[in-house]
Amino acid sequence: MAQAQVAAKQSSIGFGKAERKLLTDPLDSNNPVTVQVLGICSALAVTTGMKNALVMAIAVVFVTMFSNIITSALRNSIPKAVRMIVQLIIIATLVTIVELTLKAVAFDSYKQLSVFIGLIITNCIVMGRLEAFAMANGPYRSMLDGIGNGIGYGIILIMVAFVRELFGKGELFGAKLIGATDDYLLNTQSFELFDIHWLSWYANNNLMVLFPSAMFVIGAIIWAHRAWNPSLVDVS
Amino acid sequence: MGELLNIFIKSAFIENLALSYFLGMCSYLAVSKTVKTAFGLGLAVIFVLGITMPINWVINNFLLSETGIFSTDLTFLRLILFIAVIASMVQLVEMVVEKFSPSLYNSLGIFLPLITVNCAILGGSLFMVSKEYNFMESVSFGLGGGFGWFLAIIAIAAIREKIKYSQVPPALRGLGMAFMLTGLMGLAFMSLMGIDPAAF
Amino acid sequence: MTSLVALVLSLMYTGLKGTHELNEAIYAKKAILAAVQNKLGIDAGSLPVEKVQEIFDSSIKQEVYDMKGNLLTPEQVEAAGYKGGLAENVDINKEAKKPESERILPLYKFKDGNNEFTILSVQGKGLWDVIWGNIALEKDLKTIAGVDFDHKAETPGLGAEIKDNKVWKNQFIGKSIYDKAGNFTGVAVIKGGAKEPTWQVDGISGATITADGVGEMLKRGLNYYGPVLDKMEKS
Repeated sequence: MAQAQVAAKQSSIGFGKAERKLLTDPLDSNNPVTVQVLGICSALAVTTGMKNALVMAIAVVFVTMFSNIITSALRNSIPKAVRMIVQLIIIATLVTIVELTLKAVAFDSYKQLSVFIGLIITNCIVMGRLEAFAMANGPYRSMLDGIGNGIGYGIILIMVAFVRELFGKGELFGAKLIGATDDYLLNTQSFELFDIHWLSWYANNNLMVLFPSAMFVIGAIIWAHRAWNPSLVDVS
Repeated sequence: MGELLNIFIKSAFIENLALSYFLGMCSYLAVSKTVKTAFGLGLAVIFVLGITMPINWVINNFLLSETGIFSTDLTFLRLILFIAVIASMVQLVEMVVEKFSPSLYNSLGIFLPLITVNCAILGGSLFMVSKEYNFMESVSFGLGGGFGWFLAIIAIAAIREKIKYSQVPPALRGLGMAFMLTGLMGLAFMSLMGIDPAAF
Repeated sequence: MTSLVALVLSLMYTGLKGTHELNEAIYAKKAILAAVQNKLGIDAGSLPVEKVQEIFDSSIKQEVYDMKGNLLTPEQVEAAGYKGGLAENVDINKEAKKPESERILPLYKFKDGNNEFTILSVQGKGLWDVIWGNIALEKDLKTIAGVDFDHKAETPGLGAEIKDNKVWKNQFIGKSIYDKAGNFTGVAVIKGGAKEPTWQVDGISGATITADGVGEMLKRGLNYYGPVLDKMEKS
């Protein structure tokens, strides 16, 4: 395969076309969430707000990037039998580091994300990229691949969180944008900018705040993605 | 005994790992194309959950907590130890399945080792820690959670087999449809919220 | 390799432990200030750490009582298992696991210029797991000045609204914990709308069980402070 041949010349730390492809592929044609179907679990509970989604995305980029680098650097010295356990230990360590850091610098997010930070370990993207790429490529290219996939995942998370937070609570990053009266029955509070109540007829769509809505939104994103890029349509 | 049954029913239906918390989605969506593979994977998940939950409980309460044998708070090692236990147990299950049912082993293929990274397994253990169950309760929680996940994946596999013959828009076919279906099933399961099995 | 991993993690853990504990303490303190934030005109959640510490040091007197209304010394609080011996160290969820007669009650007296509030902590059961809250009473110890609730595992958008929905929480301000005849009622959360606005608030649609839990928590939890508040009123 062409990529394997390119991988043979891996020691060059350039930023040519091949490297750029590593970063941009996961954003579109090889998106980890919508195409490779990885990393869905955490995409649901953390997308209730933009802030949490952003924190999660950064955490995943960090973990994917560093686990790719470390595994790639060690790839020739890991015996085949314990391969999986070693990979898991690398990932688990990085995630524990992320968890401890988050608890120290962003305590509110830590409280809200709770269990799901630990679940980054089982986020199939991290493991999937280790197996599919880092075990066969050099550290520099693995790092790019890790960043690319992490960002591809992050973009989907942010898209879903955007829809869910805006239409579910009328807020973005906690700042009220649309919605009406000080009426807790409709779960809305007022927002004024330049003395105008923006879209004050809008009542929060509570469905968006519940978990299943994330599934619908991702399904819709996949639909849109495949309609826009017909090469991805499932012909089975 | 009643309390244990209570927890079993709660974790199987009311707090279903797959449809209420959406854990284990990757394998859930990837393996549910036919009921046969879904059945095999579901059974494997029940088994792994039922075994790893008590072991993780022992580790959490006797090794890592302040009242354990090391007398210091070692909870930062929790993630690593949990995942190591899960990986070893899955390896064990793999060997058992290969010996007793080679056809199932072949049809499951790569997905058997992938149970290790199934969020539902690690997620179940982390929930057990957060809910502070005792030993018997965590066994019940593990089996119940596994059973619930098993039911969920069989249900969606059955639906997906049938929906192959429906007129779904091309871009939505396959994966997109599976997401929508899961969302609908999740919504349906929300109707079970708040039921307290102890009342029966 | 495992030893390297264990070493790195334990170094990081011990290094960050101080920050973690500080964060937990500040989080709890912010929850207490959130009960009076409306009256003070501040947003407790966004206060910087130093300001939280400053308000606590200058305006809040912390006391811990037992169920009979006796003031406990810091040594007695420490003996109950809380290092530090102050009200802020008492873990209300841990207390709830003890039999009722053995529990201890944290109480915060806020006095700052014109404002004087008494803040109590209550705990109860929501739909999935425990819920708890801080209730601020006015000087008369009968009217509510503000509330703040938190939960362990309620559903976002439904039960979690007891924490997230500011407007719903604001309903509690001005409610009395006694009905017109002078009987203690706590504040009841009524599904479908409050009938007796003196001591009732409206419920949250879709979150009946959690809202019922709040009502029960208020009635029982505030009742625990009965002996304490009686003594305070007399003095």
